[in-house]
Amino acid sequence: MKNLKLLLAAVLISAVGFSQQNSNNLSQNSGNRILNSINKGITIGGYGQIDYNEPDGSSVGKLDVHRLVLLFGYKFNDKVSFLTEVEYEHVQEVYVEQAYMRYKLNENVNVLAGLMLVPMGIINEYHEPTTYYGVERPNVDGKIVPTTWREIGIGVSGRVNSASLKYQAYLFNGFKSYAGGSGLLRGSDGLRKGRQKGAESFVSSPNFSTKFDYYGIVGLRVGLSGYFGKTQTDDTSIEASTIGVSMIGLDARYKFNNLELRGQYINANLSDTEDYNTLTGRDLGSKMTGVYGEIAYSFDLKGVEKLTPFLRYEKYNTHAETEGSLVANSAFDKNELIFGLNYKVAEGAAFKVDYQLVNNAVSASETGKQFNAGVAVWF
Amino acid sequence: MKKFVSLTVLILIISSFTVSDKINQLADKEIKSVFEIKNYSKQTITISNEINETLPQKITKTNFFKIKNNEKLLGYYYLGQAYGKADYFDFIVIFDSNLLVSKVKVLVYREDHGGEVASKRWLKQFSGKSKTDNLQYQKDIAAISGATISAKSMTNEVNKLLKTIHILDIKKQL
Repeated sequence: MKNLKLLLAAVLISAVGFSQQNSNNLSQNSGNRILNSINKGITIGGYGQIDYNEPDGSSVGKLDVHRLVLLFGYKFNDKVSFLTEVEYEHVQEVYVEQAYMRYKLNENVNVLAGLMLVPMGIINEYHEPTTYYGVERPNVDGKIVPTTWREIGIGVSGRVNSASLKYQAYLFNGFKSYAGGSGLLRGSDGLRKGRQKGAESFVSSPNFSTKFDYYGIVGLRVGLSGYFGKTQTDDTSIEASTIGVSMIGLDARYKFNNLELRGQYINANLSDTEDYNTLTGRDLGSKMTGVYGEIAYSFDLKGVEKLTPFLRYEKYNTHAETEGSLVANSAFDKNELIFGLNYKVAEGAAFKVDYQLVNNAVSASETGKQFNAGVAVWF
Repeated sequence: MKKFVSLTVLILIISSFTVSDKINQLADKEIKSVFEIKNYSKQTITISNEINETLPQKITKTNFFKIKNNEKLLGYYYLGQAYGKADYFDFIVIFDSNLLVSKVKVLVYREDHGGEVASKRWLKQFSGKSKTDNLQYQKDIAAISGATISAKSMTNEVNKLLKTIHILDIKKQL
């Protein structure tokens, strides 16, 4: 496996060295997306990531077409459009990632309805692999924010140009915490197993989700997100089968010339987990937190090509607090250092390599190490 | 069949009027506010095919105008379109009489994604740019996280326009 790493590095270096300049007509391509006339039209797009993950020592490497997503949009007229993303995960699992209709009320207000992304933090909404650094998505956006987090709902979104503000507010159906006599939420990944993803979802009480993004300072974008409600159960007679969820997220992205900074903080409070754990025998924590900071600097190569080393530090804990007799599991209290290279070869196409070092709070535990490499595309 | 065709043509004409009418109304409002005037006249600029061929941005009778007030030249304006992720948007670039950019404004933005490009603060970066400036996204014009496609596309369109203005100025067409 060492040889593979060497080979990969060699390929990368030679590709950087011998890349040809090809900078003509960069700006023209986006228009090609609109296949029909200007007032109506189909949009076709997609994104994908093909990964190689190799944990150090313990197990064999894994090659995976992690995600392949096909996007289709249809514009009925200037006011009404529909967008859907069909996702293949690990080649064989098929999901609908988004499917919603948009009705533009006026320049500042859109009504959206259908299967939509919950706006929380950065990655859940902007999850195309060429928009973030690292082969895999940050773990805070996985363990704490369960990306790709999407549910069926209705809401409004829009912008106030004079204030450089974007707002979003939705009612979604919530996480499924209890079905068929057993609990679904657990300590290791919190709410993740409760996502209904729009598949025969059931709703016992709607959840409220909102996000405000401010981009009035040139180069900076700051977001504040909130998600509040109760989980869903198929048996409303059992009070303890649901928990309360209130999640707050703060994120910031800053770009200055070739420097990029990113940070995110998520705090999720889960209520009534003691009764829930007693009922279901689960180990769900009552508070989950996650934070990360990332720095990246791009070196311009020929044409649009860029080589970007990056470094990210993450800290997340799905047992930041626990209720009742449940003792916090320190194996869930993790921090992580990840560094690597992003070699952008075209607008929307990149090679990636990185190395991850994961520690947990269990005393004398060993540092988990993983090498990742991959291909990322978005078109 | 004939009826159907003429009806379709009629609907097309009406709908195209309503779209361009709205854009012209919005453009009119911007011009009046930039020059702080109540009345002005617009004048088309005729460019020969030969010169138009050499321009990065083709000039037509409907996209580029002189702005005059009592025969005095106040400036110029350009109505353009740029593409976002899945749809196009309309914008206006207003120049003063010295061909410096006075204002860039997004008139109609259609898709949900990337509308940050219409931010007043961000568009202010174009003000004061001249025909000799070369605008590169993320260098001369700051990036917008989460609206990269639209912001890059807008920057490229304005850059193309500045180059066009430069050529027209050298060839004494303005």
